[in-house]
Order: sequence, then structure tokens, then C-alpha cells
Amino acid sequence: MDETGRGGVIAIAAKRSSSAPGGLRQSARRSPNAQSGRRSANTMPKGLSSVVRVLPSDSSECHLGSFIDYTVNGLVVGNIYALLAVGLALIFGVANLINFAHGSVYTIGAYIGWACITCLHTPLPVTMLIVIAACGLVGVIIERVGLRPLQGSARIAPLLATIGISFVLDQLVQLVFSPDPRALPSELPNWQIAIGGGTIGALDILIAGIGLLSAAVLFAFLRFTKLGWAVRATAQDREAALQMGVDVNAVNSAVFAVASALGGLSGLLVGMYYNHIDPAMSFQATLKGVVAQVIGGVGNVPGAIAGSLVLGLIESYGIALLGTTYRNLFAFVLLIAILVWRPNGLFGGRAGTQAEPLTGTFIAPSRPLRVPRPALWMLVALAAALPLAIPSPYVLQTLTNAWLAAMLALSLTLMAGTAGQISLGHAALLSIGAYASALLALDLNVPTLLSVLAAGVVTGALGTLLIFPAFRLRGHYIAIATLAIGEIVGLVILNWESLTRGAIGVTGIPPLSVFGQDIYSAQAVYWLCLAVVIGLALLQMRLLGSHFGRTLRAIRDDDVAARCYGISLDRYKALAFAFGGFGAGISGAITAHLFSYLNYETFNSQVSLSALAIVILGGMGNVLGAIVGAVALVGLPEIFRVTTEYRVLIYGIALLLLIRFRPQGLLGTV
Amino acid sequence: MKAPPSETATRDPLLRLAGINTFYGAVQVHFDVSIEIGAGRIVCLLGGNASGKSTAMKVILGLVRPRSGSIWFDGEPIHGVPTQEIIRRGIASVPEARRLFPAMTVRENLLMGAYARSDKRRVAEDQARVLDLFPRVGERLNQRAGTLSGGEQQMVAMARALMSRPRLICMDEPTMGLSPLFVDRVLDLISAINRQGTTVFMVEQNASLALQVAHHAYVLQTGRIVLEGPARALLHDARIREAYLGGEVAA
Ligand SMILES: Nc1ncnc2c1ncn2[C@@H]1O[C@H](COP(=O)(O)OP(=O)(O)OP(=O)(O)O)[C@@H](O)[C@H]1O
Ligand SMILES: [Mg+2]
Repeated sequence: MDETGRGGVIAIAAKRSSSAPGGLRQSARRSPNAQSGRRSANTMPKGLSSVVRVLPSDSSECHLGSFIDYTVNGLVVGNIYALLAVGLALIFGVANLINFAHGSVYTIGAYIGWACITCLHTPLPVTMLIVIAACGLVGVIIERVGLRPLQGSARIAPLLATIGISFVLDQLVQLVFSPDPRALPSELPNWQIAIGGGTIGALDILIAGIGLLSAAVLFAFLRFTKLGWAVRATAQDREAALQMGVDVNAVNSAVFAVASALGGLSGLLVGMYYNHIDPAMSFQATLKGVVAQVIGGVGNVPGAIAGSLVLGLIESYGIALLGTTYRNLFAFVLLIAILVWRPNGLFGGRAGTQAEPLTGTFIAPSRPLRVPRPALWMLVALAAALPLAIPSPYVLQTLTNAWLAAMLALSLTLMAGTAGQISLGHAALLSIGAYASALLALDLNVPTLLSVLAAGVVTGALGTLLIFPAFRLRGHYIAIATLAIGEIVGLVILNWESLTRGAIGVTGIPPLSVFGQDIYSAQAVYWLCLAVVIGLALLQMRLLGSHFGRTLRAIRDDDVAARCYGISLDRYKALAFAFGGFGAGISGAITAHLFSYLNYETFNSQVSLSALAIVILGGMGNVLGAIVGAVALVGLPEIFRVTTEYRVLIYGIALLLLIRFRPQGLLGTV
Repeated sequence: MKAPPSETATRDPLLRLAGINTFYGAVQVHFDVSIEIGAGRIVCLLGGNASGKSTAMKVILGLVRPRSGSIWFDGEPIHGVPTQEIIRRGIASVPEARRLFPAMTVRENLLMGAYARSDKRRVAEDQARVLDLFPRVGERLNQRAGTLSGGEQQMVAMARALMSRPRLICMDEPTMGLSPLFVDRVLDLISAINRQGTTVFMVEQNASLALQVAHHAYVLQTGRIVLEGPARALLHDARIREAYLGGEVAA
């Protein structure tokens, strides 16, 4: 087993976002000597496996054959997506929620399957039944523990809770099964049918069969059983269903059970298909399910199936044309395009049945804690004097990390809190800033202090430009769109080799320097970052107290009314994003110079989500809260030397507890 | 205990709200509201916009929990009982703005009305009986409910409520948005349903219409019951005339 995943944040981070259906494994799967290819995929270092460009292995001989292969592959992968997307659609229907923990259930399904096959040696049908039952149970627990207590809170609260649950579940899987990838043998006879030069294997047929069977069973369930009727009725009008005597809690429970059972099954099949499972597969699975669902129309069950097949085919053909590293790029660009142009999906013409607008943000009413000004300056003085009192480089580096996280949190709390645009892809801003500054310094020899500033400006501009298409979206859709935009940034960095050096990353980034003096000492770096944080925080407080800040809050609280007063929403949102992007860009840039190494996964989705936890902990929109939250969630675990796995677990649990018991955060929302 | 047990107490009402105080967050919408609905009667609750009428219906159905007060159905307390259980005990509702299941057919909507019942054969009988009352609904059984006209939707909503064989049927503004012809139709149907033995609790803004069919009425004003009495008496009451039937309108 490879050991790449052990240690530092970055390595863990890299693991999380590398995709399960990675390229090489797949091409190996469909190569003539499939069986041996699948074995070998497993020993391949992960970093490489998603990078190697794949061309049809026998492209010179038989285009039709590879076309059929890619079609079969697209349909099979589409079937797997469908099992995921159908569950997401069912859950969205009854609970009005995008379940970000869905991919975690899929991972759990894969691991339970692995345990059954390799430890208990159960035959495949039994394995499937166990996976279905166990994952169904997990679904019921997710609903009961994570979501039911949140009824009646802000609409985005359950979504954030599912993010917390996914953190917890993924880390539990990692702790139980180790982060290393594992082989999941398929146990199926190794025969294939040749059709026109392409081949179809036993596993392909099994997956297609399970897809069809699941669709049929689901259709029968919804159409002919009483519970199925209740599910449909609840999805159409929850309160009316209640008034007919439907126990909507039981319906929710049932839907989570069904959806999770299908999701777990999907995970098992994926594992068998690629003969590979790892704990990092969860996040991508959620995203693919969401994309498929959006293509088909959110909450639309038949649409989810169709959307999944479309997505599978597009990805498969896209890979054939451009290479595997483009796979996810197709998915996310498609997602954004559909969100912007056809928010009801390709097949959903039912604009009338759209639920009430999802109000955007997670602002629990509260009175923010007032900290008197002298106390604030005392704290600043204390922080500034700290390196003199405690010269330990370890402590200073830890706090420096906290200041860097605080810059990101300031930016996020402005956008998600003050402007009400929940962003789940905020780490992309770090990436942009980091690359901008690193490349300016390396390629154009710009002095680092200048390059950091320029990186802030570039990030502000580019970030605003990228998020612009999502301005008209609301609530859940903003969350999905920002997530996708964040992924797109990473993928563009990966694929734009001439500029970014692709997967290899940027090495030898010069350290920060002031007037020709390199800053190496932990103390100096600490002071520099502290000064930047304080500067940004003061600026942001200024901003919030101004007309601009009041207008942003007005938009957040009621954008319809704000529009009626003739406020140009887009301009204000754009300004907020520009300012937020500036701060985040600077944070990323400084990090790049401190690390001296950077690649497309340095700042991944996990960084985005922990930023969200920080911001909620501090209190949405609360400037001081963002800083306190960063110190608490980044600094404290490190000072107490909590290992990375447990740290993420702590983030997840903290997020869950906060949403449930203290949605206004430590210092209160503003 | 000044008053001796009065005659009215000898027969318990089918539904009784006693001393209800309801809040949405910090805002109080009911102040000590008490309502009694005698078995076999049509009782209506009148009041202007935002007086708390719909909320009163939600309180009965267990959709909104009052902070204090008690609710009794057929002599048993139902406050704190989950909605589905309340429905099972024999209360049905025609919600404000109908709230049909738009993507389901009319037939499926009717069967959803019988969701709380498990006796399939009797449900089929009841469907025939209900369709006798609403012939127009019978012609539309396979149409998607979302495509019906407003008046037709009201018919389906009432038919759907009857499918659970309720003892008490609660209706929220059943005449809202209907043409005069349909309004008369609906009022006739309410009387017909009542004659077949179902008690009716009806929330209305349109006092003159409601008082034509009701036996007894309560008037709710910003969360307080300000007037109550037999419908006929209220129809001629100066205060009602003033507030709801033209004349000076009170805020
Ligand atoms: N879910 C809710 N959350 C907060 N406030 C609510 C909610 N539902 C109703 N209210 C408030 O409670 C008050 C009473 O509402 P209710 O719907 O009971 O009035 P109503 O008498 O039915 O009015 P109408 O005749 O307009 O239907 C209103 O001020 C309303 O704004
Ligand atoms: Mg009302």
C-alpha cells in the first residue's frame, strides 16, 4: 500500500479531493488485459494516477471498438452516478436539502463491501444485502441525529449539518480502515463479450442490471406502495401531507434509508469496477451525484437517472478526446452552465412547481458580543508581544497558520455572513492568490512583497469575475455553484500546464522579503501575518460600519425588498467579493511563499469547508469572530498536538454542535 | 364556583379550545382564545387579515403548538398529540389555498385523503359516496390536480378531506378566490356535508357568506375573541355589520 497519505495537512488535503474514478485505473479497466491492469492500478502512486493522460490504447487500429468501449464505460459510470443521484433527488424532494453526506455513505458502502468480501468471504449477493442494510441504517441515523433536530431553523442549516456529518463519517472511515487505498476484488467471472471491436464484461452487465432493477423497484415503490405515495406527497407539499395524516418524519427516515442504501450499493459497485477504494472517494461522489441531479432537475427522480447517464457519457467521451484530467472539468462546467441557464435542469420544464425561494444564509438572530475598544487594543498588544514572551517557533508557526486562516475567514465571513452568499469553494481564492504571487515572483522576478499585493488584486478581480455567473442564484444553488467554481479553479490549474506547471506544481517559490531582506525567522513571519490580519480586519470593520456594509446586510436579509429600493445587487455583491477576494488572495500568496511549494490541491475543498466551520464558530459576519474562530479551530488543535485525522473529526463535530446549539456562534452574528 | 353546572355543560362539545395562547417566536397571535364546536354543527371563525384564524386551525391540527391552553376532541386532550394521530382520530382539513398535490392525479389526491385509513374496501365505497356529492370531481379523476381550475381545486380539496371519514372537518377560507356561482356551490356543499353528519369548523373573512350557512360564530380580532353567538344573531349584530358588512371599517 502506498504511504503518500500520511502526515501533513497538505497530504491529507490532497487525498480528499483526488477522484475515485481516477483516470488510469479506468483505462486499465477497459484495456484488453483488464484483470491485470486493474491490479496494477492499485500500486500506482495516487498523485500520478490521476495525471497520466490517457489515449485509447488501440486508437490506431479500431476507432469503432474504442468508441463502443467509451460508450459502455460512460453508461456504466452513468449507472453508478444514477444510484447516487436518485438518492439525492429523493432527499431533496422530501427534505428540501442537498445531502452533502451522501458521498460518505457511498464510501461506507464500499468499505463494508470490502470487509465482507475480504474478511468474511461472503458471496456477492449476501455482500450486497449487507451493504444495503447497513447503509440504510446509516441513512436513518443521519436523518435522526443530524437533521431532524434542525427542523424550523434556517434553510441552509441542514445543508451545513450534512457537511459536518460528512467530515465525521469520512474521518471515522479513515480511522477505522486507514487512509490507504484498498483493492476490492469483484469476485465475478472474468468473461467478456466482444461487440464490434469493443468489449462488455460481466461486471458491466451486473452494474447495468442493478441500475435497471433499482430504477424499477424505486418506481414501483413510489407508485404502488402507501409509503411511496407519502413520499411523493411530502415532496410536493410537506404541510399538506402532514394534514392528510402522513408522518413526515417517518417519510424522511424512509427516504434517507432508501437513498443511503442505493448510495452504499453504488460505492460497492464502484469499488469493484475500479478494484480500488479509498476514504477520499466520498467528496467527489457527492459532487458527481449533485451534478447529475442538477442536469436532470433538482429533486426530479427520473431526471436524476437521465442526468446521470448524460454525465457518464459526456465524461467518457470527453476523456477519449482530451484526457482524464479533464473529466471533472466537464462535470463542473456543465453544472455551472445548467445552473445559470437552465436551473430546472435539462428535462424539467416544470418551472411552476419550484419550491419557495431558498432564502440564502445562515444568520441566526443574535446580539453580537460587544468588545470594548481598549480591550481589543489590549488583545492586539498581547498578540504582538507574544513572540517576545514565547519564542518557541512551533507555537509561533501555529499561530501564524491561525492568522493565515483568519484572513480567509475574514473574507468568507464578509461574503457568507454579511453579503449572505454562502461560499463552499473559498479555498479557490487561496489557490489563485498563491499561484499569482508565486508565478509573478518566479517568472517575472517581481519582489515578493509586491507580488503578494498584486496577487490580492488579481484574486479580487478574478474571484469576482468567476463568481459573477452565480450572482442570480440563491441558497442551496449558490452553495453548489461556489463549490463547483472552486473545483473548476483547481482543475484549470491542473490542466493549464504552460502557465501553472500542471500536476507537478510550482517549486522553489522564493521566501518573503522586505527591501531585499528575506524573512525567515518565525517571529518575523508571525508579526507580518499578524499585521496583515489586523489591517484587513480594521478595513473590514470600517466597511461594515459604512453605507456599503448596511446595504449588503439589507440585501442579505431581503434581496427582493432591496431590489425594490433600486439597489443594484450585483454591484454590491461584486464589491464584497472583490474585497473578500483581495484578503483571501493575500493569505494564499503568503502561504505560497512560506511553503515554497504549491500544487493544485494545496488548497482544496477541505480547506474551504474548515473555513466555513471557523466562520460559523466565530459568528457569521463577525470580524472579531472570524479571528477568534481561526485561532480556536486552527491554533488550539495544533497546540494540543491533535493529529490531522482527529482534527478534521473535531471540525465536523464542532460544525454539527454549533449548528444545533449555537447557530449564532461564539461572538454572535452581525 | 358561583354558577351551578349549566345546561350547556351537560353535552360536551366535539372540539373545545380552552385558553389558547399562541406565539410565533416572540410575537403573540392568540390571547386566551376559547372556542367550542358542538357536534353536528357548523361553527365559523370570522376575522380580518392576520387576526390569527389560520393559526387557530393549525393549532387544532397540531401543526402549531400553543404555548399554553388545552384542546379537547371528543372529550380527550389532543394538545401535544402528533398531527397524524389527530387526523386518525377523525379531524380532516381543507387547508388555506387548497394545497392539493399538484403533480398527482385527482384520484391520487383523493386517496391521499384516506391516507390515515387502512380499510381498503371501505375507502373505495367512500370514494363512490364522495363522488356522488362532487360529480364534477368524478369527471376529472385522471387529470393532474395542478391543472385544475381554482373552483375545481376547491371541490377536490373538500372531497379529499371527506375521504378520511372525518367527524370534524376544518376549512380555511373555502370560498376564497371563487366566482359567485362557485361560492354558492361551495356553501351548499358545506351544508350538505353537515347534513350527512359531519361537524364543520370554518374559518372565513367573508362574514355575510359564512353566516348564511353557519349555526354559530366567533369573531377574532388581533388574536382575541371579541364576539360570539348564534349565526343568525350575529348577522344582525351592529358590530359585525360595521366591521364586515360595510360601514365603518375598524383596523
Ligand atoms: N409561520 C409563521 N411564522 C411567523 N409568523 C406567522 C407565521 N404564520 C403566521 N404568522 C403571523 O401570525 C399572524 C396571524 O396569521 P394567520 O395566518 O393566522 O392570519 P389569518 O387570520 O389567517 O389571516 P388571513 O385572513 O390573511 O389568512 C400574522 O401576523 C402572521 O404574519
Ligand atoms: Mg389565513
